[in-house]
Amino acid sequence: MITLRSEFKKIKRKKIGLTMCALIGVQFAWLLWAGNHPDEKERLQGWIEMLHSLPLVSVIMMPTIMSVLASRLADVEHKGNTYKLLNTLRRPGSLYHAKVVCGTLFILAISLAQFLFVIALGYSRGYAGHPEWKYYTTAFMLNLACCLSLYLLQLLLSMLFFNQMIPLVAGLGGSMLGLILMYVKMYSFLPWGGFLSAAQVNMDWNPETRVIHFYYREYSPVELCAVAMIFVWIVVFYTAGRILFAGKEA
Amino acid sequence: MNTSYIRAVKAESLKLKRSPVWLAFFALPLISAFFGTMNYRLNIGVLKSEWYSLWSQHTLFLCYLFMPALIGTYCSYLWRLEHTRHNWNSFLTAPLPVSILYLGKLTQAVRVTILGNLWIFLLFYICGKLSGIQSPFPQKALEWFLCGTLGAVVVCCVQLLLSLLIRSFAIPIGIALAGGILGLYMTNHDYGMHYPYSIYCLGMRANNPNMEISLSALIVNSVGYIIVFATLSVFYLRRHEIAAN
Repeated sequence: MITLRSEFKKIKRKKIGLTMCALIGVQFAWLLWAGNHPDEKERLQGWIEMLHSLPLVSVIMMPTIMSVLASRLADVEHKGNTYKLLNTLRRPGSLYHAKVVCGTLFILAISLAQFLFVIALGYSRGYAGHPEWKYYTTAFMLNLACCLSLYLLQLLLSMLFFNQMIPLVAGLGGSMLGLILMYVKMYSFLPWGGFLSAAQVNMDWNPETRVIHFYYREYSPVELCAVAMIFVWIVVFYTAGRILFAGKEA
Repeated sequence: MNTSYIRAVKAESLKLKRSPVWLAFFALPLISAFFGTMNYRLNIGVLKSEWYSLWSQHTLFLCYLFMPALIGTYCSYLWRLEHTRHNWNSFLTAPLPVSILYLGKLTQAVRVTILGNLWIFLLFYICGKLSGIQSPFPQKALEWFLCGTLGAVVVCCVQLLLSLLIRSFAIPIGIALAGGILGLYMTNHDYGMHYPYSIYCLGMRANNPNMEISLSALIVNSVGYIIVFATLSVFYLRRHEIAAN
């Protein structure tokens, strides 16, 4: 608790919250723009379409947002050269835990804001009915897990490298890879493709009638494995980060 | 002036020596080219405009979303060297005018951007040949390259200013990504030519290789933005006391 409190003290006036708000604000602007002025047909499919759009926006922006968050939290230690100093005050690894918890709280706030915005947007546009809470809750949990796995990867890189260009480029590359993978398959075993595997809605586009039909996805065994892979990545990155960071402190 | 400028550029080159910062400009276009070509090959029945179709597949996402952020990363790195430790003291007390020191940084950013653009075009040519495109390489590609490079210089100037003002390494990159995404909206609403992050994509004809754009508007807007953002950066360096960290 003390380490976590000191973590929040370290980032005081660093405007990390403001940065996250600004970047999430761009996502909101995108979602606002994407489905502006829906017609009657679009209103009928509104809630399900939202669950299709959200992972696509996330796959592009979240890897970079997570790299920015992790870099901001790790850079405090690089600039202050505080590893050895902190090691004399706390046991090795506790600093890493504090950073993980601190980042997770930010991610939780971001994910909550995303879903609250989507729901508010749906009601303000007059989508038919109500959101299907079962799917929306699952989407929220999976979105959170994907963000966490990417954050842990980025934290690992940001802590390892003094040159923050490397983790930031990894984040950008991840965003690009995720976006391109979307055109190959709607699932991926790579950490950046987690949003695709977690997407619960697929669509059918009829080129003749030019009508899009959204439907809830039925997962094949391979796709379920890809979803499970998100949690495997969380464990892998957390363990690797803890071992490497504890080693770096000593 | 000339000797001072060369000295500033050489000093910046020395600072970047053995730093693998150029690798990002090598890797991201490679990913884009690989998957773009794969997508082109898979949809060759629909994508019938040969070189032009391949060009869209290669550059659409790269130019709109990732190139501004990549340029932002490089610019952040250039200023990070000064933001770290007491380097501002040595930078600002160098026996060269501040404007020349700034030009040294801008030259480095522009140089790597040009190399990045050349790499994009080289990959385009190689992938086109490997995909078996028979028609001759489009002559307009030279115009796309020149216009794109001019647009990229605008992004360099904007990002150099942001990275100078904001000490954080990551925030200007986030702004660049957001700027690129907003560029999609701006281009879609015909404001692209007036928005710094969109000029690069319009110059490269990333969305539509057949698009006709006003070259004079592109040149005037780009040069205007370059002058404005470069002047603001030099003004900030001259007027503000930048504390060494």
